[in-house]
Amino acid sequence: MKKSLLLLLVCLVLVTPLFAGGASETKQAGPIKIWAWDPNFNISIMNEAISRYQAKHPEATFEVVELAKADVEQKLHTNLASRTKEGLPDIVLIEDYNVQKYLTSYPGQFADLSSAFNYNDFVGYKADVMKLDGKYYGVPFDSGVAGFFYRTDLLKKAGFTAQDLENITWDRFADIAKEYKAKTGQYLIANDKSDGGLFRIMLQSAGSWYFDNEGKPALVNNAALMEAMKLYKRFVAEDLALPSNGWNEWVGSFNSGKVASVITGVWIIGSIKAGVDQSGLWAVAPTPRLSLDKSVNASNLGGSSWFVLQNGANRDKAIAFMQEIYGNDKGFYQTILMNNGAIGSYMPAFSGDAFKALDPFFGNKAIFTDLSRWASMIPKVNVGQYTYEADAAVMAVMEDYYNGKTTLEQAVKSAENQLKNSIQ
Amino acid sequence: MANEKRLDRIGWYFITPACVLLLFFIVYPIFFSLYLSFTSTKGIVSQFVGVKNYLRMFGDPMFFLALENTFRLLLIQVPIMLLLSITFAAILNNKSIRFRGFFRTALFLPSVTSLIAYSILFKMLFSYDGLVNNTLIKLSIIDAPLQWMSEPRLATFVLVIAMIWRWTGYNMIFYLSAMQNISEDLYEAASIDGSSKVHSFFTITIPLLKPIILFTTVMSTIGTLQLFDEPMNLSQGGTTASMIGPDNCFLTLSVYIYNICFKYTPNFGYAATVSYAILIIIALLTFIQFRLSGDREEAMRKTLERKGGVR
Repeated sequence: MKKSLLLLLVCLVLVTPLFAGGASETKQAGPIKIWAWDPNFNISIMNEAISRYQAKHPEATFEVVELAKADVEQKLHTNLASRTKEGLPDIVLIEDYNVQKYLTSYPGQFADLSSAFNYNDFVGYKADVMKLDGKYYGVPFDSGVAGFFYRTDLLKKAGFTAQDLENITWDRFADIAKEYKAKTGQYLIANDKSDGGLFRIMLQSAGSWYFDNEGKPALVNNAALMEAMKLYKRFVAEDLALPSNGWNEWVGSFNSGKVASVITGVWIIGSIKAGVDQSGLWAVAPTPRLSLDKSVNASNLGGSSWFVLQNGANRDKAIAFMQEIYGNDKGFYQTILMNNGAIGSYMPAFSGDAFKALDPFFGNKAIFTDLSRWASMIPKVNVGQYTYEADAAVMAVMEDYYNGKTTLEQAVKSAENQLKNSIQ
Repeated sequence: MANEKRLDRIGWYFITPACVLLLFFIVYPIFFSLYLSFTSTKGIVSQFVGVKNYLRMFGDPMFFLALENTFRLLLIQVPIMLLLSITFAAILNNKSIRFRGFFRTALFLPSVTSLIAYSILFKMLFSYDGLVNNTLIKLSIIDAPLQWMSEPRLATFVLVIAMIWRWTGYNMIFYLSAMQNISEDLYEAASIDGSSKVHSFFTITIPLLKPIILFTTVMSTIGTLQLFDEPMNLSQGGTTASMIGPDNCFLTLSVYIYNICFKYTPNFGYAATVSYAILIIIALLTFIQFRLSGDREEAMRKTLERKGGVR
């Protein structure tokens, strides 16, 4: 009997630590923890913000954790869904298309910052992204203002001047791509026909999205969407875009000079400048618009914003830090523009000197003056919380639409059915 | 008797920790996910919806696409792989082959590589300017590089090749060890009776391998139905792309579950429903496989008994 008691004790001793885990650690404030992705952009910018803050508040400590974007999202989901308060950061970066998803899925988990910032100071569409039931939950960060970046030398050879490329429609763009290819035998642009990037640029330029203002799927009879699908099909049918697979091939296509232009968010500038031998040969025009009345030559792709966790031990310190740098410090925005090519969403900073600087890489033009002007023209859209569901639903029907198995109307309809099914 | 009981009790103490862990980490999740599959969740907002998730699943084209992709892989990959495994095992079981140890190790080695590492390796091999395209061009088999990873059929082919490379050796080991358990006497007796090597293989080796063939088939079926790492890593954009593989050809059921949980608005309830669908499919397939082989084994035993071969 004694022996068995002893055994039982041994078993207990062996098992208890398994359950004692997290409970024994006492909660300490510690450093302000931050999760983000992309060391050359978000992380580097956050480190700049921290060093500016610490210059005035030497007692503040930070811990910046660099993760892959998918990992940030997955960790955030699992931690929030399990309702644990340990293991979460104080500040986290969330892509704009995903913001509403987090806000509505995890109510009460993100700090309400409505009174901490003056949201009129931020670019309108960015502030809207983080608005839920009249409250603002985040700090708008980088803008994904779209630009039509092109090689002046290559287009000149094909007989196109800068005026030919300013404020054009996508149809005109396709005509130019066709003419360019006929004259040079090269592609004007690279595009992955199953990537939704250009799609979203086209949609937002018309103030349209996959959803209506109530967040209901709005694919059928969506003029902007159907026009965008027609354009994608035209690019495939007339072979106007170099097929590219994945980020590296895509960046390689313009770095190597295989294609003469790229239309995407401003964050691409860093990658364009990686082709150092092409300095002075680039220029930027406004993104093309759709042939619809409401479409303008300004749009957006991507971009993300910072969020403070409601239940973090450092919540108030984190908010104070974000207020002082992201909501006040114009100099900070000048620095990140120069160092990282990041256009923030804080409009008072747009008048700063860095925005007027002439960029030798872009033929000594003040490209950021233009880009920030276009940024303030971007139509507001309600991206809702199901952008990726919609993206997947639309792309899933494109192949059949490309090869003529379905008509445009049928394709849109089956995409909407899929979308409705996946968001119930 | 008393001693036996005491031993019994001590035995129970020994397995208690394992049982407790099993209870917490296997049994509880199984029942909890069953409950989850009757709820619709959006992060931490959850509501009980009864069988609505199951109805939704039957009207979900994406689910059926994933099911179709998974079964396509299952039907192509598993038979080829198992045939290869059994062939290699038979060859390497032949004592007259030189460097047997080397070949065994070489064939088994792929299965110790990490799933992610080998997926990325194959992605590189079959990339547009990768080794495979370059070699094929040098050998003048093709004129222009093939778009392996952007054409659904080619991409499926790459995935199948990769999985065969990774898992053939693993299954071969099971066959090899089973073959070594077959008594030499049987072969000797058969050859004295005038049976050829090939004939012996089909009448002695294969019948005696039945339980192992069943085991590997069941395991491979389960493995393929849960396939996740390879398609996820082979597909270009991974979690951010609009599609998993060209024209969604890598969208397997497990990838779809991942998307429901982490890429789309997290609906853990519906994800649990889809995992239960996998469970039911696996259970059904396993049942069928057991029945098929069980019946045949029974029949085989009876014939052998009649012939006086096996007791």
